[in-house]
Amino acid sequence: MTDWSKVFEVFGSGIVGVYLVMLLLQILTQLSTRIIDMIESRNQSGDTAVKPPVTDDKGKV
Amino acid sequence: MIAIFKELIVSSGLVSLTGGNLIMWLVSFVLIYLAIKKQYEPLLLLPIAFGILVVNLPLTFLMEPEHGLIWFFYHYGIENDIIPPLIFLGLGAMIDFGPLIANPKTLLLGAGAQVGLYVTFFAAILFGFDLREAASIAIIGGADGPTTIYLTSKLAPQLLGATAVSAYAYMALVPIIQPPMMKLLTTDHERKIVMSKLRPVSRLQKICFPIISAMTIMLLVPASAPLISMLMMGNLFKESGVVERLTKASSNELMNIVTIFLGLSVGATMTATTFLNPKVLFIFFLGLFAFIISTASGLLMAKFMNLFLKDKINPLIGAAGVSAVPMAARCVHKVGSEANRRNYLLMHAMGPNVAGVIGTVVAAAILLKNLG
Repeated sequence: MTDWSKVFEVFGSGIVGVYLVMLLLQILTQLSTRIIDMIESRNQSGDTAVKPPVTDDKGKV
Repeated sequence: MIAIFKELIVSSGLVSLTGGNLIMWLVSFVLIYLAIKKQYEPLLLLPIAFGILVVNLPLTFLMEPEHGLIWFFYHYGIENDIIPPLIFLGLGAMIDFGPLIANPKTLLLGAGAQVGLYVTFFAAILFGFDLREAASIAIIGGADGPTTIYLTSKLAPQLLGATAVSAYAYMALVPIIQPPMMKLLTTDHERKIVMSKLRPVSRLQKICFPIISAMTIMLLVPASAPLISMLMMGNLFKESGVVERLTKASSNELMNIVTIFLGLSVGATMTATTFLNPKVLFIFFLGLFAFIISTASGLLMAKFMNLFLKDKINPLIGAAGVSAVPMAARCVHKVGSEANRRNYLLMHAMGPNVAGVIGTVVAAAILLKNLG
């Protein structure tokens, strides 16, 4: 005899569960990539910023 | 002399041959033909076919518990959950999650394709299968061989041979099964949608993805741990770029070795007594149904997402949400470029394709949690 309440439970929890996990993973992936993008662009702009001219002890370039 | 000859005949397997054995030889020969001549998933089908052949030679006792050679491979490799996770390690070392990271929305397409799996679960119960058998049949729709084997060995080991062969057979038939569904469920205008180029993904983002995914998925669905942990570790090996030897070992040597034992063991479960019953025919039919519904649900999910998206996606990429990597993505690309020559959908389809691998494992783990 099929336990239909169990069938519907597996059916419902399965679909909802898969969507929830994938949605959360999507949000976390988007969040992490944005943070990494920000860090990398800041590092890049730091590298390309104009460095002060190197001078010797007498202040000559 | 005659007595010796008589003794030889009596002690041979010839006298124990049954009609069932002969039919299974025929099944084996058909699979060998498909593997060699048609090149349908030959890496798996060939050892499976040979496993079927040798296990159906009487008196060889290759699958006799505690004695048979292949039984040891099956017992330690599959019953003890060693081989499918090792296949996932190799898969992880080969997969590029870049397209998925560049467009994380495609994770939802990977989830969309799993709806077909649950519809099939329902259908299998209507056909008279019990809950555990229905779950093992439904997972065929995920088009992921190792996950199918992993789940079936836990829930309904008596169906292992049929579900595994069904999964690999339909994976090989992706270019035949999917295009008609794609054309049926999308308009010509939709198939012509050109998607903008994917943004570049940095190395750090690729390194972080397997770590974040492993933690998220395993915290939410602990039953997925054996497969997800190995998949993500393999990918971390690849993306880190510092363990080239481990990456190569995972994706080549180890993968090849476990593939031999996996194929042989699965084939050896297909004895005449277990395989030749009407249920198996239903499994092949329901497996095809699962695959078709999963393709359809992926396509419909993409169309649904387009209702809300500013930059429309080509709904064809939803069909790649089944995890037959990379055949499903290639198939999407082909159908897309037939509709519009400017369309280059391969990389866009790889996103949902690898999301489908994750989605199928999550779906299998939820089934295992509920029914295991």
